[in-house]
Parts: sequence; structure tokens; C-alpha cells
Amino acid sequence: MSVMGRLTQEQIVFALAVLLCAVFALALPGFLSADNLLNLVRSVSILGMLGVAMGLVVIGRGIDLSLVALMAVSVAWALQLAATGMDFVQAAAIGLGFSLIGGMITGVLIAFVEIPAIFATLAMGTLIYGFGRYFLFDLDVVYLPDEARYLVWLGQGSLAGVPVPIFLFAAVCLVGYLFLRYTRTGRYLRAVGDNLAAARIAGVPARPTIVLQYMLSASIGYVAGIVTAASVASMNTRVANSTYVYDVILVVVLGGIGLSGGRGGIRNVVVGTLLIGILLNGMTIMNIQYTVQNVIKGMILLSAIVIDTFLNPRDEQTAQQGDI
Amino acid sequence: MTPILELRNGTKEYRGVPAVKDVTFTLHRGEVHALVGENGAGKSTLTKMLAGVVTPTAGEVLLDGRATVLSTPAEALRHGIAMVYQETSLVPSLTVAQNLYLADKRFFHRLRGIYIAGQQFLQSLNFDVDPMALVSSLGAGQKQMVEIARAVHHNANVIIFDEPTATLTPEEKHQFFSLVDRLRARGVSIIFISHALEEALAIADRITVMRDGEHVVSDEAARFDRESIVRAMVGRSLSDELYGARARRSPREAREKVLSVQNLSMGKAVKNTSFSVFSGQITGVFGLIGSGRTEAAKVVAGVMKRDTFHGGQVRLDGRPVRYRVPRPAVRDGIVYVTEDRKLEGFFETMSIAENIHLSAVAGGRSRSRVISLREMKEIADTWIGALNVRAINGDARVIELSGGNQQKVVVAKALVQKPRLVIFDEPTRGVDVGAIAEIHQLINRLADEGIAVMVISSYLPEVLQLSDRILVCRQGRIVEEFAGDSADEETIMYAAVH
Repeated sequence: MSVMGRLTQEQIVFALAVLLCAVFALALPGFLSADNLLNLVRSVSILGMLGVAMGLVVIGRGIDLSLVALMAVSVAWALQLAATGMDFVQAAAIGLGFSLIGGMITGVLIAFVEIPAIFATLAMGTLIYGFGRYFLFDLDVVYLPDEARYLVWLGQGSLAGVPVPIFLFAAVCLVGYLFLRYTRTGRYLRAVGDNLAAARIAGVPARPTIVLQYMLSASIGYVAGIVTAASVASMNTRVANSTYVYDVILVVVLGGIGLSGGRGGIRNVVVGTLLIGILLNGMTIMNIQYTVQNVIKGMILLSAIVIDTFLNPRDEQTAQQGDI
Repeated sequence: MTPILELRNGTKEYRGVPAVKDVTFTLHRGEVHALVGENGAGKSTLTKMLAGVVTPTAGEVLLDGRATVLSTPAEALRHGIAMVYQETSLVPSLTVAQNLYLADKRFFHRLRGIYIAGQQFLQSLNFDVDPMALVSSLGAGQKQMVEIARAVHHNANVIIFDEPTATLTPEEKHQFFSLVDRLRARGVSIIFISHALEEALAIADRITVMRDGEHVVSDEAARFDRESIVRAMVGRSLSDELYGARARRSPREAREKVLSVQNLSMGKAVKNTSFSVFSGQITGVFGLIGSGRTEAAKVVAGVMKRDTFHGGQVRLDGRPVRYRVPRPAVRDGIVYVTEDRKLEGFFETMSIAENIHLSAVAGGRSRSRVISLREMKEIADTWIGALNVRAINGDARVIELSGGNQQKVVVAKALVQKPRLVIFDEPTRGVDVGAIAEIHQLINRLADEGIAVMVISSYLPEVLQLSDRILVCRQGRIVEEFAGDSADEETIMYAAVH
């Protein structure tokens, strides 16, 4: 028990991922090939980037259900502007601006108006999608204009044999890691997520930090959106109405970032993402139906949480270890 | 006579660390048994074993002389053992009667029926509580009555209280004691954990003292006095250090007026109150719970959230200030040390070092936007050393420390911000005797160094022993001021009640 008891959910999930990897490697020829492994990581790198965005918000004891909607609409608008003849860089900048303003409004609603994050972002997600669909573009799918074809490299190209999205995912992770660990603002974010009242009393600018966390998630989401658009040369805004945002939350929670805030880091996102990647890749090779895949995903999440509950019971001792 | 409840050679380990070591504890029929000891002495763990909340690692629980395994609180309750916690376990949105009958076997209750039955039952206990009142509308004392009534309703003949008086006002404490007497008269056996030794001496038949998870002594209450209990608790005599030292000095002279509050009003809690705090001395604020002392301090430090400010003025060095959030107050040198460290004192996911360093950064004492891990370690080590925080190292989590050491970390978080005015709100609540002395020494040292110190406390000996000036707060106002050496307990209490 002494060794087992110290396993965190992150380690359990990592062990699960390794185990699955081993099983697939034995059972599925070609699973362990370099091509397949790169493809595996590439396929989840966008999910991973969104996971980093969501992870930062969850560490700050929030949740961002508007992440995917804001990503889809701001990128689609940028593509739409470019399609009507605007210079793509300028259009992309406007899209980013839209995304940041959206994140800021969400943040202000949560930090200053003090609406619970889950309601504020749910409403904002619906609002942003409806607004975009009605005012900003005409069709559900907005295509990448020909002048911006060079962008496709971001989604489909490769550097030294490694697909570019993997580099981008790694870069986002690195930035997120350095932000959380080495910047003052990153510390503030963790403090606010851990204990808002204590953070206030210590003199942390609590409300600006909360606003910032939604602006951060919006901007990371925007990067992920651009890579999405680059991979398929279009942005399908219907993703805003899909369950994609729950996949993102799945990655975050699976990796072991507690919804109670303050706990976990970027490593948890990476581990969660890898497990999902391995699972999806293996199941795709085995040609398992999409609906069945969902069942398996849900079961994996539940079992990770159940194992964690057994190994790290949240009983009274853990809750008040100070006073035995 | 066989004891009604006994723990024989009980040991409880958490992750290999014993919280209670080979303790034998007996509870006789119809007695009131006080359990005292420093924080971390193992009192809570001991009672939790008796109440089925935790199971002993070794040893056995004997009920009426028969070995019994109590694996859940519900099972203990079936055997007539009920535990009443400090935080109530009542459902606030239900009425008193609904709470009383909540865990009954019957699936369905007619509301009218339980109100009538509840009324009769409460009357039979002589409890003055309205069965139709919502629990959320009750005061702490009344909630406790309901909790006790529920235990009696379940035919409990052993009731365990975990620090029952910690949150009660003196009046409510008085009620509680008469209640204990009534229960004793009904033949109920009672264990109660307490920090307040006077209470233990006053109402207990027997007293057991624990230290570091071990049983020190059990005896008739009449054979103890305050002195001997303290000696047994700490293994040394602390009384001189703690309570005898007051005669030794004259009050410090006031230097500059740092804070002046004029006619401050806020909501219902603070009414037209005025006071000043001077540098180089300790201003003690005594008041009963609910007298508005915490609220007044929180308004000054900008901690109060969404305060409805009804006028008045706060001046820092003669300059009018109005803080809506704590940050500018911290920047101007006013820090508030909270009365509730678990709720708003520290970050439980962070280490001691990170906790202290975060305060330094947020207080503007470390300018860089990039965190230097070396600087963090330096700052933390300095303060851990200065305040004598007992932990393995700075990487330990604050949540793993004892109450006293947690409080030291919270104090370090305030002092690292280099304040000019420190407001301590109940600085030694839930802190063991040894750490109380250390924190008191520290507060005195701060005043000697010329910092303006304000100490809010509802514990009179503490106020008397620390303060150079004493302000008494009652019903939202500062009603009287005493020089530290001219006041005594009766005059202060007289000013605070009414």
C-alpha cells in the first residue's frame, strides 16, 4: 500500500496509457511503427492544445464551455474576411482580437459580475455561435481562401519528418508550463484557483487574474483553431454545437487536474491527451465503430477516477490531515 | 462496575504515522469525561475510534464489557453512541423537526405529526427551540441543542462532543453547560474534547490528558487544577510564560497615530464606530462574537466583499483611504491575519515556501515578473526560521502541519509583506499551548519594533496579556477604552456584555 498509496491519478493514467500501448503493440501489427506513432500524436495535438487552454482555466477553478464555440467562430470569421479579399494576416489578427474580446467578456462576467463560470461560459458559447452564424458568415463551413494556401503547411506539413502540429502542441505546452511555473501571473492563477479568499487577502489581483485566464484560454483556443483550419483547409463551425468541448474536459480531468482548482499542471494535460490518442488510434486501427468508441472512452474515464478514489481515498483524514 | 465504553490498547495509524499510540480509555456510566490535550495530541482520533468514524489499527472497543466492532458511525449510533461535531451536521434548509426525524426508519412523515412530536420531545428535554424554525435561521448554540436533541432522540446513551464550546458566546456556553447537567441527570455518559481548561474543570467528573497520541493521565476532575493540567498537556510548566507575565511591564507608549477610523458604519454589523491604532504598541480589541469587531477590521483592510459602506472615514497617516479590495491596502502596509486560516488563510495545494513566497510577490516585495526558485527558497527559509515553523522542510504542504504551525505560516505570509499595521484576528484560535506562547512573543516583538499592531480576540486572558490599550466592542460599536494595565477581566466583560 505504501507505494500504491502515493500513485496520483496522473501516474495511474500514464500507466494505463503504457499498458494500452503494450497491448496494442502486441495485438496490432503496425501500431508501433514510427509513422503510426507520429500520426497518433498528430491526431490529438489540436485536442491537446485545447486541453492546455481548458487546463489553465480549470486550475484557476473555472471551466470554459465556450472554448470550442469561440475558437470556431473567431477562426471562421478570419477565414471569411480573408475570402472577401482582406490580407490574411490582417484577417487573422482581427479574428484573434475577436477571440480575446470574447474571452474578456466571459472573464468580466465571471470575475466582476460573479456569475458561476459554468453558466457564464455556457451562455457565452451559445451567444458567440449564434452571433457568428448570423452576422459574420453565411455558411456553416468556411473555406480557407487560395491566397492563404501556405497556411496548410501548419496543419499538414512536416519538419524533419515530424508533423508540424506536433511542434505546435509542444510549443503550447512549453509556454503553458513556463507560464504556470515561472511567472508571477501563473502563480496568481494557481492561488486564485486554490483559495480565492486567501488570494485576495494576500493582495493578489484576483479579478484581473480571472479575466486573464479566460483571455488566455481564448487565445490558445484560437491557435488551435488556426491549426484546425490549416489541417482541413476549412473551419466547420458546427463543431461549436458538438460534444467536442466535453472531449477537451475529458482530457483535462483524465489527466488529473482537479475541478476543485489549484491542482495539476500541463503534464497532466499531456498524459490525458496521450491516453486518448492511443485509445482512439488503436480503436481506429481495429475498426471499432464511433459509437462504441464513445462507450470505451467513457469507461476509461470512469475507471481512472474509480482507481484514483481507491488509491487516494478522500476520507476525513485526507480532508483534515492537520488535525489528527 | 463495567465501564459503558472502553478503548483497550487502541492504536490508529495514518499512512504508518501513529496518531494514537496504545491508549486505553474508559468511560463510566453517567459521567462527564473531559478530554484535553494540545492540537495533534490525538483527542479527535481517539473519539473517532469510539464513534465508529475510523477503525483502530490495533486494539479493541468494548461496549458494556463486550468487544464490539464499530465500522461506521451509523453502527455506533445503533449501539447508542453519537458524536456531535464542531461543524454541525444538520441540513440548514430543513426545519428543526425535519432534522430531528431525518434518519428515522420510516420513509414518510406527515409534517404536522413531526412538528407536534418534535415540540413534545424538545420540551421534554427542556430545550427552547421552535421545531418549525429553519435550521439556517438558528444561532450556533441553538443548532447545537438540535444536534444534541437528535442524538438523544436516537437513544444515545453516550454522546461525544468535539470542541462544543469553541464557537459559542458566553451566554450560549452557559446554556450548554446546563444542558450537559440535564443529560447527566438522565444518565447519559458524555465525552467532551476541549481546549478551554476552565470548562473542563468546571463541568467534568473526570479528566483525561493526552499528549502526542499517548495517554498521560486520567483522574477525578477535583484532583486537577489549571496548572497541573497544563503541565500534563505540555510536559512542562508553561503557566508563567503564558499567564503570569502580565504584571511584569508597563504599557508601551503610543508613537504616531497610524490608523484612525471615524464614525464608520457598514451594514448592520458596524455602527458609527471610531477608534485609532498607534505604531509601537498593541491595541487589543475585545468583543463577543457578533459584536462587529471582525467586520470593522475587514472594512479597514478592504477584505470585506461587497461591503455596503454607510459613511464614516478611515485615515491612514492622516490621509483618507477607502479600500474596496485588499490589494491596495496591502500595498499601503495594512495586512489582515484571518481568524479562519483554513477558509481564507493559506493555499492547501501549495508548499509552505510557495505560500510565503506568493504573499511576498503579491505584496510587492519581490518585483520581478519571473519567479526565481532560489529567491523563493531564501524568503521561505528566512521566515520558517524566524517563526520557528516546525516542518521537515519548506516543501511540506501547509495542510500537513499542526494548527499552531499552520498559524505561524499564515502569520509569516502577513509579515513577509513588511506591514506597518498588522491586524490579528483571533491569532491563537485552534492553536496549541506551546505555539500560543510563541505567537504572543512574536506579536510583542512586532510592537517593540515599532509596528502598529491590532489584536482582535474573544479570549480575555489573551487580550489582557498582550494589550497596551484595550478597546471593547459591543453591538457594532467601540464602547470603551482601557489602558492595558488598568483593566481587569470583570470591568472589560462588564463593558462587553449588556
